[in-house]
This record gives sequence, C-alpha cells and structure tokens, in this order.
Amino acid sequence: MASDSSPGRNNNGPSSPDEFASSPIGNTYSSPATRTRRRRRSTTPLPYNTPPTNQSRFATSESTPTTTPHRTRHHVSTPSSDGGPPLSSDAGDDIDEATPTFVWGTNISVQDVKAAIQMFLKHFRDGQSQGSEIYEEGKYMKGIHKVLEMEGEWLDVDARDVFDYDVELYGKMVRYPLEVLAIFDIVLMDIVSLIQPLFEKHVQVRIFNLKSSTTMRSLNPSDIEKMVSLKGMIIRCSSIIPEIREAVFKCTVCGYFSDPVVVDRGRIGEPTSCLKQECLAKNSMSLVHNRCRFADKQIVRLQETPDEIPDGGTPHTVSLLMHDKLVDAGKPGDRIEVTGIFRAMSVRVGPTQRTTYVDCLHIKKTDKSRMSAEDPMELDNCNGSRRIEEDFQFDEAKIQQLKELSKQPDIYDRLTRSLAPNIWELDDVKRGLLCQLFGGNALKLVSGASFRGDINILLVGDPGTSKSQLLQYIHKLSPRGIYTSGRGSSAVGLTAYVSKDPETGETVLESGALVLSDRGICCIDEFDKMSENARSMLHEVMEQQTVSIAKAGIIASLNARTSVLACANPIGSRYNPRLSVIDNIHLPPTLLSRFDLIYLILDKADEQTDRHLAKHIVSLHFENPESTVHDVLDIATLTAYVSYARKHIHPQLSDEAAEELTRGYVEMRRRGNFPGSSKKVITATPRQMESLIRLSEALARIRFSELVEKHDVTEAFRLLEVAMQQSATDHSTGTIDMDLITTGVSASERMRRENLASAARNLITEKMQLEGPSMRLPELLDELKKQSSFAEVHLHDLKNAVAELASEGFVVLHGDSVRRV
Amino acid sequence: MVGPMYDFLANPLGAVRSTFDKAIGSESDPSSFDGKDWGAVDLFRHFLFDQARLSQVPILNGATINWIKPNTLVRFRGMIQDMLGNELYVGAYKDGSAWRTNKFMDISQCPVEFNSPDMRLWERRLLYCVPVPGLSSWAESISEVAVNMCMDSTSEQRDKRRRMDIEVVDHNDFPVSGDEFEYSPSAKRMKEDPKNEGPCSSHVILPDVDRDSLPCLVKIYDSPESELKLNDVFEFVGVLTFDSELPSEKVDQDEFSNGLCDDVSVNLPPNKVPRLHCVIHRKLTGYDFLQNSPPTEPKPHLVKEAREALLRHLTSILGNDGVAAHFMLLHLLSRVHARADNVAVGKLSLNLTCISKEIASVFGTKLNIVIKNLLPFTKCIPLTVEYLNTVFLAPKKDYQINRLIPGVLQLAEGSHLIFDETCLETGTLDSVGIENTRLLKALAELQKVEYDFQYYKMEMMADVQILVLSEGKSNILPADIIMPFQPSSSGSSDAVPAEVLEAWRWYLATVRSMPHTIESDMQKVVENDLVTARQADRSLGSQDFSRWLTMGRLISASFGETSLSLEHWQMVKELERLRIDRLK
Repeated sequence: MASDSSPGRNNNGPSSPDEFASSPIGNTYSSPATRTRRRRRSTTPLPYNTPPTNQSRFATSESTPTTTPHRTRHHVSTPSSDGGPPLSSDAGDDIDEATPTFVWGTNISVQDVKAAIQMFLKHFRDGQSQGSEIYEEGKYMKGIHKVLEMEGEWLDVDARDVFDYDVELYGKMVRYPLEVLAIFDIVLMDIVSLIQPLFEKHVQVRIFNLKSSTTMRSLNPSDIEKMVSLKGMIIRCSSIIPEIREAVFKCTVCGYFSDPVVVDRGRIGEPTSCLKQECLAKNSMSLVHNRCRFADKQIVRLQETPDEIPDGGTPHTVSLLMHDKLVDAGKPGDRIEVTGIFRAMSVRVGPTQRTTYVDCLHIKKTDKSRMSAEDPMELDNCNGSRRIEEDFQFDEAKIQQLKELSKQPDIYDRLTRSLAPNIWELDDVKRGLLCQLFGGNALKLVSGASFRGDINILLVGDPGTSKSQLLQYIHKLSPRGIYTSGRGSSAVGLTAYVSKDPETGETVLESGALVLSDRGICCIDEFDKMSENARSMLHEVMEQQTVSIAKAGIIASLNARTSVLACANPIGSRYNPRLSVIDNIHLPPTLLSRFDLIYLILDKADEQTDRHLAKHIVSLHFENPESTVHDVLDIATLTAYVSYARKHIHPQLSDEAAEELTRGYVEMRRRGNFPGSSKKVITATPRQMESLIRLSEALARIRFSELVEKHDVTEAFRLLEVAMQQSATDHSTGTIDMDLITTGVSASERMRRENLASAARNLITEKMQLEGPSMRLPELLDELKKQSSFAEVHLHDLKNAVAELASEGFVVLHGDSVRRV
Repeated sequence: MVGPMYDFLANPLGAVRSTFDKAIGSESDPSSFDGKDWGAVDLFRHFLFDQARLSQVPILNGATINWIKPNTLVRFRGMIQDMLGNELYVGAYKDGSAWRTNKFMDISQCPVEFNSPDMRLWERRLLYCVPVPGLSSWAESISEVAVNMCMDSTSEQRDKRRRMDIEVVDHNDFPVSGDEFEYSPSAKRMKEDPKNEGPCSSHVILPDVDRDSLPCLVKIYDSPESELKLNDVFEFVGVLTFDSELPSEKVDQDEFSNGLCDDVSVNLPPNKVPRLHCVIHRKLTGYDFLQNSPPTEPKPHLVKEAREALLRHLTSILGNDGVAAHFMLLHLLSRVHARADNVAVGKLSLNLTCISKEIASVFGTKLNIVIKNLLPFTKCIPLTVEYLNTVFLAPKKDYQINRLIPGVLQLAEGSHLIFDETCLETGTLDSVGIENTRLLKALAELQKVEYDFQYYKMEMMADVQILVLSEGKSNILPADIIMPFQPSSSGSSDAVPAEVLEAWRWYLATVRSMPHTIESDMQKVVENDLVTARQADRSLGSQDFSRWLTMGRLISASFGETSLSLEHWQMVKELERLRIDRLK
C-alpha cells in the first residue's frame, strides 16, 4: 500500500536530512506519499547540514545549496515512472502533514514504529551475550560501529532478530516494508550521525532471513507491496543500466553550468533558458554527460529451483530489480535467496495487466541441490571473499533432525537400507558405498605429503547383478558426480585435454571427467572395457589426486580429488570359479591396490532371491507400487545427512582403535604371506592400512561421532574381508570356495552363530574342567538343548561353533570329542 | 437463440457481466471473489454440458480463426506446450459507484488508477498451447464437422451472412495469405526498430505459427495448479480475443522495460497468437477424439470381434506374419500405468528386426498408415546420422525469450512413434548426435525425456509407444521386444471401411483405459513360473519378467478382461517361445 504519512517529515532534524534518500525502496513513484513529500519539500526548503558530498546510492542532491528549486531527490525510478502516466492520484496532497502520525490506511503510528526500531537497534543482544555482559553494546550497535569503521554503506539486519525482539515490529515491517524501512533508515542515520556526525555516506538497512520464505508459485496479488523472501536460481541478468540521477546542463551561449538537476519521476527537467541572470538565453542549455551522476540498476530474472517445481509443471520466473551494490552480485546459474518487496506495475499492452517484480533488498547465495561439495580443507580458503558468499547452511531444525537421526542405534543399517532401496541384497556392497559417500579425512602433513580421504571402490561381478544401477544411484547422490562409461572414455577424456580454440587459435585446457568430479565421485561403468592407456591415467589420480598435463606447451597439475567408483565384469564376462580372484578380475595389481574396496558380486543361483524378485515384479505390475513403502530415508534427507557429516564431522582415531588397526594389519600381512600364494592373493600393503583408516573414519562419520572407536575398525576389517569374499578364499590357490558363497552367511545367521558360540563357551566353562576329561559333541548338544533358546540347534552348527572356540585356543577338538585347554 | 437471457455463444462476456452484477448486488464486496468464481462458470457448464451445447461451440484452428469473431465463445483443443507463469490483472474496479469486472477480457474498458482501493488485482495463469503434435487427420476432422454443425444448426441465414461478411471484411483488412500474414508483423517491426534485433528480437526460432498449427495462449482462471500439467491434452472453452488491430508494435521499448516486462506480449504478439480466456477446460482422453460418441460400455462380444478383425488386418498388413501381428497388437495397447523407482511399468516397445531397406519400403509406409489410422497421435521418424546430428529432440528453455522451445520428443501422453532405422548408415555423430541418442535411449528405457533448462535438466515423464524398424537389433533404442520380422507375402493393402476403422479406434481406446488386476492364486502361479524359469536360465532378469507380466496384462486386456487368467498366461509363454525361436 502506498503511504501518505510522510514518516520522516516531522523528524526532519538536522541529523536526518533526507530520510528517503537512504531507502533502497523509497525510490518508487507509485507511492503517493513519496510524491507528496517531494512536492512539499520543493516549496519549503529545509535546513540541510549533511556534508556536501553525499555518496549514497540513492540520495543525490545534498550537496546543492538549499536554493536549488528541485530539492526532490530521486533515486532509482521504477518503471512505472518511466515516462508512463502517473499511476496514482496525488490525493495524498490534501492530507495535512501536521503531526502525520499514521502510516496511511493503517493504524500504525510512525512514532511508535520509530521508537520500536530505536529500541531494537540500540538494545538488541544476541542470545549468548545476554546476562553477564549486559553493559555491552547491542549486536546492531556493534554492527553500526563496524560499518562506520569500514565505511560501509549498509547494515545487515537479521529479520529473525527483529522478530525475537519485537514481534509487532516484525509484522509491520513485513506488511508495510516501504514505510517501515524508510523509518528504519532514518533511525539508523540518526544513530550514525550521533556517533560520527561527519560520516559522509548514507547507511541503509538491509533486511534478510525472514521468518518464512515464499515459493515463487505462491506469490499472489495479496503479497503485493509486502516483504517476501524467495529462493531461486538466476537465469538471466540484464546488462547494467545506468540511470541518471542528477543532470548538469551547460549554457552553450555563456558557458554557465547549471546546478545539478535531480530526476523527478523519471524525468529531468531541462531548463528552457539559461539561469544566469546576465545571459538568460533561450533553449541554450545542453546536457554535460560527464558531470551528471548515474546509478546502476539491473534486472535479473530468477527462476524456481528444480526441486520446487511440481510434477508436470515448468519453472516459474520472477523479475528482480537490483540497485547499486547488488548489481552483479549474482550471475546466471547462481542459487540465491532474495529478500525484497514484491511489487506490481502496469505494462503497456493493456492497462489492466500488471507485471510483477521484486525490489531487492538483500541477496544470499545458497546451494542446496546436491551434497555440499565443500571439503573441510577448503573452507578457509573460500571464506570471506565476498560478503554474500555464504556457505550452504543447514537451519537449526534440520541439524537437530539429523542429529536425532544419528543417535539411533541402527543408523548404519538404516542408511544402508536407504541406499538404492530398490536393489536387494548386496548389503555389504551398499555399506561400502555408504563409506565412500561419507569418505575419510584427507590429511596434509606439514612436510607436504598428503593422504587422500576419498575411498575408491571397484565392483566386479557377473552381468545382471545391478552394478550399473548402483553406480547410477551413487551418481545421483554424490556431489559433482560424473558418470562415464569405460568404453566411451579415452585417457584425455578422463583427465584433461588440450584443444585449439577455433577462433583465437589459442590452446586451451579442457577438463576431463575426473577433474570435473573434483571433490565428488567419478563413476566409471564398464571399467574392463576401458583401454589400457586410459586406465593407466588413473594411477596418478587415484593416489595423488592430481592430473598432470604436459602437452602443447601447457604444463599443469590439476586437482582431481575424486573418489572413483568403477564397475567391471570379470574376464570372460562371467566369474570363472576355477580361476583365482586376481585372474578373474584381470586388472594390473598397481591399479587394484589403489582401490580401497573391491567387491566381487557373484550371481548365486538362490531360489529365495529369485522368488523375492518374482514377487517384487509381480507386485510392481499388479499393485499400486506406491503402497510398498519401506522404512527408508528419502534421498533429500540422505543427502543432507551425508553432506552435514562430510562438512562437520572429522573423526579422530582413538587409542583403542589404533591398536586394533595395528593388530589387524599384522594379521592381514601374515595371511598374505602364505607360502606360495604371493601371486594369487591380494596381499596387504600399506595402502590397505590407509584404506582401513579411511573406512573406519567414514564409519565413525556415519554415526556423527568425532572418535573412531574399536568397533568401527572391526567393521572396516569386515568390509574389506567381505568385499573380496576372502572368507571363502582358499589361500593356497587363490580360488573361491563356491560352496561357501552359495550357502552364504547372512548377517542374522552370523548373529545366531555368535550366540551359539558364546553359549557353547559358557556351557563348556560350566561343565568341563581345565585339561579335564573330554566330552563328546552329541552330549554337549543335549546339554545345550536344555536351554530353551537353543532347542533347534543342530549338531552341525554346534560343531562349527566349537571349531571357532577351538581356533581361539579355548578348546581342542579331536573328531567328536572336545577337551578344554 | 439460446439461453433465456444471453447468447452464450456470441456474447459470453455479457453473461459474465450480468452474473457479476448479480453477484455483486448480493455480496457487494468484490474482494470476496478473489481467486474464485461468482457463478458464471456454473452457468456456462450448465449450458455446455447439461444442455449439451458443447458441439455448437466452434473449434478454433488455423482455418476458423479467420471468420470467428473476437469475444465469442470458442473451444480449442491442444497440448500445453509451455507455461508462461501467472499474470496479474485488474479483476474488478469501481466505475463511478458500480463495480465492473475485467475477468475473461484482455483490455480493460475503463482503466483505473493503480493502487486505488477501488480496484482488485486478480491473477490468471498463462498457458501456451499448440495443437497436439502428430495429430492424425481423423482425430482432427471432428472440428470441421463441428464447425459445419455449428453453422448449420445454430446460425440462421441472416446470421450466416453476417459472418461471411465479417470474413470478407477480415480479408480486406488483411489481404495477405498465410505465410505473409504470419511473418509480416515481425518484418515490419524489424524495419521500424532495428535495435530490436537484440535479445528480444522476434526472429528467434519459435514454433511456426502457420495455418495448420495455430497456437493459442490460454488464460486460465481460478483453477488449481495441479489440474493442468505440461504436455496434457485439454479442450479449453472460453472467450476468444484475437485482435489483429491492436497496436503491438510499440517502439518505445528501452532495455529496462524489456527486461522487466513479461516477454509474452513481445514474443507472442496478440495479432499472431489468439488469446483464449478459458471458462471451462476438460482433459481429453482417447475417446474424445473419436468421431461419433461411441458406446463407453465395453461389451464382450464387441471387444472380441474388434480384436479378431484388427488382428487379421494387422496380420495381412504384416505379410501374414501372425506372431508379429500379435506383438504389434500388444504394443499398440501398451501404456505406462505405473512408475516405481525408475521403472515405467506397462510400456512395451517393439523392435521389428530383419527389415532391410527394401522391406521397409514395402511395409514401413503401410504400417505407418495403419497406425495413423488407428491412433490419435502418431509420428514417423526416419533416423539418419544427419537427422540425429541436427534435430532438436529435447525441448529447450530459451531464457532470452523466456520460452520453452519445443523438441521433437515433447509429446502428449499416449503418442506413438515409429523410428525407421533402416536408412541409418555409417557416419560420425557429433555432440548433438550423441546427446540425441542418449535422449532416445532414455525415452525407450525409462519413458522419460530430459528437458534442457540450461542450468539444469529436468526429467519429464513421458508415455510414448515406440516402434523401431531396423535391420538388426537397435542399439539406439533398446526395445522391450525384439521381433525378427518374417513376412511370407508382400502384405495386402485393402482399404478398410471407415466404420470398421472407427470400431478399431474405439477398441484400442477402450482397452487401453481398462483397469487390471491379478488374482492371488494366479499370482502364485506366475511367481512360481518366474522362479522356475530363472532357475533354468540364469540370464533371465527382472526386465524379462517385467516384459512377460506386461504382455500378460495386455493379452488379457485385449480380450476385454480385467484380470489375468491362466489361459492368457500360457499365451504369453507361447508367444515368447515363438519369438525366442525366431531369435535363434
């Protein structure tokens, strides 16, 4: 709504020469109030004592003597004033300015608002600084001091602070932004001139972070002239439009320079005759361009972000009007959050139609689409480069929700389930992929050596085991992921290539997939089909995480801190059980050792799985697929969870965990050194040790834990084992015991076995003396069956359990007889 | 002529006004009509549907646009090609002491001051609609009929003459033929304003506004957003404004206002694109394109008869290849009926292989004609390397003009595409070509098309039947069914009587829209069969199972049944066996 209250009129003390000059939005002519005020001012010269050179964005003519006929100041004129007919009547003129205390059309008292703002600015304190430091200055007083020091031109005011301090004021501000912000600016300038009377610039208030942000779709006529906050993506920026603020004319006859003429309603009143008394030549005045003052203006088109678009809709767009400092603050492609005033103006086509736009007050860059790609290491470098460059921030509620989630005991399993929920089984593969998503800690030693935190995974498996689907899924989830197929990728396509610009003839370096997925995950399908040459390019990337180029006179090293997720078929397409694992994978060991986890995904002829599949597909076809909901996290939550963890959680090894790592590693080395197996089994190398550290870190991250604990390490070892099906590998030949795989052990089964083993241990401790007489297994079984929970135990299971105990050195097993040692 | 008080057809705005006056009389506050109707729509609905006068409303198309008077009631059938956002307009204003409304109008009769309390700003949605791509001529012809009917039944002689007069006058005003009529305004503008060549110039590639495919800017009032989706086919009934005299060539456009101003008026000048202020809209289904309103109740014997006849016809067209004809029938009946994690359930694309160039020249055209005659929206695309390298398959957003540039793959739900790969020769695909093949693959596999919004891609669901003719198995378009084509004769091309065709169309439309279920014991049987099959052959995967189930569903549907029976399931297995045999 327009205002007729002339808020600043009666406070037009020396300190606030021109309240509207400092308002970013007081520059609109559609408001009758503004116009009224302007007119009055031109008839009643006011005392100005602002410094003569005012640099405010909007304000203009403070430097002119009060005798200038046009005192009205005009700032950016909105299109409605652009030569168009005045849109509203000057009905406001009739309203007397004597004690104009109410915002026109409302019962909001100007004095009240002013007082409230003063209170807010002077006394608002952050939550934490309350209490003990009661004598300290308020948050915004500090802010004002800072602005003065920096010679800044604006003060950012968090709307939530306003809300916390004075709900009523917040409501008024959102509903009548034009008026309230004008008062805000006056108050601010009052304070500024109290602190530093000679401060030259106009300081403005910029409101941001409104309580609720609107979606572009829901903007409707009732929002007009209200303060709104919108999120979207910039799709188009106009060129910067210089807009004349003050014009200076020169008499072509006598050379007399006129006083600056200020824009009035989008027009410059060109003097018809020379103003010099001696000259007075008619039609002699011409514009002197380089003495005029211009201001920047830009029109930016903002489009909805893809996630806000409903099914079957196209994105909505809205125009933004940027002034001065906000010009070029964003470029096409940026995701921003805008706080501004939603306004309408008429378009020429028909007087009944209105175009809408948002007058920008504040913009903030956001990026919410994918997992935040920011690595902890990089944070310091990119901070503070620009004020608006704010990182991806989670709001409190979201963080709380994520933390709640992380506290759940089954979060690891839950996340595993949520990962590609339409692919069953392969739970351990999913766990590995989960670790990859979370990643370990990258480490850079002072000596310059660096350890990557990215986890590389290779999936090797029979056709039709949904490897590609997993890849696609991870690609969708990961930050800056690139998906390529080995068959279609060349070495240069993966790393970087040099090409000649067809126009300039210059050689330019173009990034390849790996460089493009810096700090993301590069998914490579059909890794085995990749040319040898291309594959060898990966060596450097996967360990050093850089790509070095030396060609066509360009020598460069590009960052490629990427996790590689590759999948391949075994040699001969299907896994050949007669060959060793290494022979089946048939990749050079140099490359293999760079993968932290290598998964063998074997297609087992399992009727249970088949039935499961059949059931799923039948239900897909004949039932409503939506009805089958699992207890899983949706992609958005998963993404948020992962990116929060990547950004904020940096787990450290606990002593216990470190010990466990050492122990396990030694064990692995020992196994690899099995006589005669050196070529057949993947031997543990220091690389494996690093992998284990990374995996355990990732596992701790999954729990949002800052400490890597022992069970993380155990799980990391397990993952490594499971990945290679090492449990089933015959170490002497390097082949896999297919029986062991086909009768595979599930997680629940493992649980059951552990229970059984501990029960057997208890039983043995109870019944048998150390080095005492041996006991036959069937006897033991009978004893065990007396316990209710083990009524169903078979001899075979017990035998396994006892064998396990025997391997611990707890008992000795001779045929059927068990002896405690 | 019609209605007690006002002529809905000739003066719909009169009806709008009088209902508004009445409503305002009882309500007195126009703000109560913010974003809702005051009873005008009900009146129209009563007139159009309860009194069944819909057929009297002339259809707007390239032919009729020249004689239909502005501000009369028209209907427009088309696909929503682009959404241009919302528009605010002065919905109601006070003229003296009385409130007036501008709803369903473009131009205010009495402009009022901005921001005055005597004015209500209301909102309407702008949809850019085009005739459905690939609309078959039989589906279109209904409009002529309707026009004739309308002329005959509603217009008396005098009325008719008046209209003809108008037509003549129109022609005098605009004595240019189609093409010139189309391009002259932009040419004129360019002459007048060379600056306009910049970002906002009008010669950006826009869909051709020719006589055959007249686009229409539909303005929707007070209806929920979810009701109208991109690529939906709708019939809009509303008030036409098509003002060839409205001066659209204002030269005062500085960059500033160009940037802010909605590009709608710039790029879609009202003298080129008619505006339709929609009063009532309804979504069109396959039925609505049939000539005479057919029996909606699928009688078993009618369905079976149609099935037999159609299958016979397809067999003879396909050179007595009965198996191929069976698959073709199933293919024509398929549609995406559900989606679950990236799987479009119900699609059944068909790839007829072993078709050389010569065979294609014999059967391709025949097949094309048959399908054109059967389905409302069809398109035949001969794939060549050059085509792939040059065509714009995916719709693309052009931010300069703020419009979605349609691509070949922007299709209405239920469209049928024939890809003829037989003329594909070896050659090099450039980046456009590779992108295009990727799009085709995604369409065939997932029934999704990625729309290019420059800064990001947006996946849009599609439901397109795809038939591929190729020599070997197509790699560009992986189809659900690979069917080696084995004709034993050159195929007949008997003319089919129109009413038979009509029956077949009705059959296809009916069967496609039928619901389908499976009994639990049948479900067990199917599951067991699948498990056994997989135990026997490890290479069978979820795709094969999916295909079988889709075929099962379609076979039983083709008999007009709503649940899968054992007999039909056996048929699926038999058909698959025959097909696999051929593949060997």
